[in-house]
Amino acid sequence: MPIKWVLHWQPNQGSTVSSQILNEASECVESINGVKEGRWKATLNYYKPILKDEANQSEFPRDFLGISLADEPDKYYFIIKSQRIVVEADTNILSIMEKLQSYKSKVALYFEGFQYQLGDFRFRIGKVVPTHSENVRGIVMEVDYLPISSIKTANKLMEEFMEIWHEALAKRSLPGKFVNIDINFEEYGLGDIYTPQHTAVHYALVMADMIATVQAARG
Amino acid sequence: MECVVQGIIETQHVEALEILLQGLCGVQRERLRVHELCLKSGPNLGVVTSDVRLLCDLDQPDPTWTVKHVGGAMRGAGADQISVMVRTMIESKVSKNSLRMFYALGYKLDHELLKVGFAFHFQRTAHISVSVSSVNKMPKVHAIDEAVPVTHGMQIVDVTAPATPENYSEVAAAVSSFCEFLAPLVHLSKPFISTGVVPTAAAAAASLMSDGGGTTL
Repeated sequence: MPIKWVLHWQPNQGSTVSSQILNEASECVESINGVKEGRWKATLNYYKPILKDEANQSEFPRDFLGISLADEPDKYYFIIKSQRIVVEADTNILSIMEKLQSYKSKVALYFEGFQYQLGDFRFRIGKVVPTHSENVRGIVMEVDYLPISSIKTANKLMEEFMEIWHEALAKRSLPGKFVNIDINFEEYGLGDIYTPQHTAVHYALVMADMIATVQAARG
Repeated sequence: MECVVQGIIETQHVEALEILLQGLCGVQRERLRVHELCLKSGPNLGVVTSDVRLLCDLDQPDPTWTVKHVGGAMRGAGADQISVMVRTMIESKVSKNSLRMFYALGYKLDHELLKVGFAFHFQRTAHISVSVSSVNKMPKVHAIDEAVPVTHGMQIVDVTAPATPENYSEVAAAVSSFCEFLAPLVHLSKPFISTGVVPTAAAAAASLMSDGGGTTL
């Protein structure tokens, strides 16, 4: 699959994220000739163990996530960030997890928005919302460079393209910026050729960063 | 869900069974070499203990992994009347590091097996799979190269077919009727109800071997 960067909106200190920023960012893609293609959606679940004795919670991972991605609707991805594990499975795994009754979802988040094509690039910009709520908790942006799958090969080109993007967005004087997290994919056993597992790891780290930002803002 | 029956056959008659299956199924046999890891949830995890199996297909150039959950068998008067077991079964292909994930989630290795043999997959009302395999255990964890047979001179025959709550009776009937063709060599019944080897197997095998499997249905 093509190389992808997953960026997220980092608000300036004292400011909050809102759907207005999503609108501005979407308009910005259109202003640089991005062509709107349709909607996209991804979902993320935080799981917690079902325990006989809650006192032993520390024995179990607290950062066990499951993700369904827009690129691979028939697959499901699990990540345990603290142990650098990413697993790809068929969506049948969700029925197996249901039968096992050992973990259950404690929080579910949706990522949803519009997809744009811009030459050899594909943009997906979307808001992060909890289920049963319209409160925007964050904004994510996927940027694919369709001709290349090698992370190393595409890196410089992606950096240059993101500079153009940041310049275009800077004209709108928004209270924050899109940031890219530098990830050591090797730690997760992933190679240089980009796969959906890379995207799943990206999302897990983006979420961790968003949560850390919110917690830091709350002091 | 799936319909399933099981039986045992002496290794000396396996070749005859293969000839019979070849004639009946009309498809090429596939080699079978599967490392099966049975995991159980740790003592504190889950309201009740849960089991899950990880199957590693070693007969692929790059081994592939499957997570399998086998649920309880259907019960009641309806289930008693049919000669095959109907049970819930869910499988999911997974990447190779799923064992590490289950360990991290609090599952422990209960036991592991190496199944070596062959299988036939074919369509006859239902999508039926027949596998004939020797079951081996490992003296050390994951030591598949040192595996030794659990029962010398015996192999297990499994006949399975995927089913749904709507069609399981038709699938069960298809599996039952197929099993009748194998009856001279192997008696197939619901799993965990051992019916032993077929006394006439030697004579049936001798007849099949001399016939060279030329008889088809």
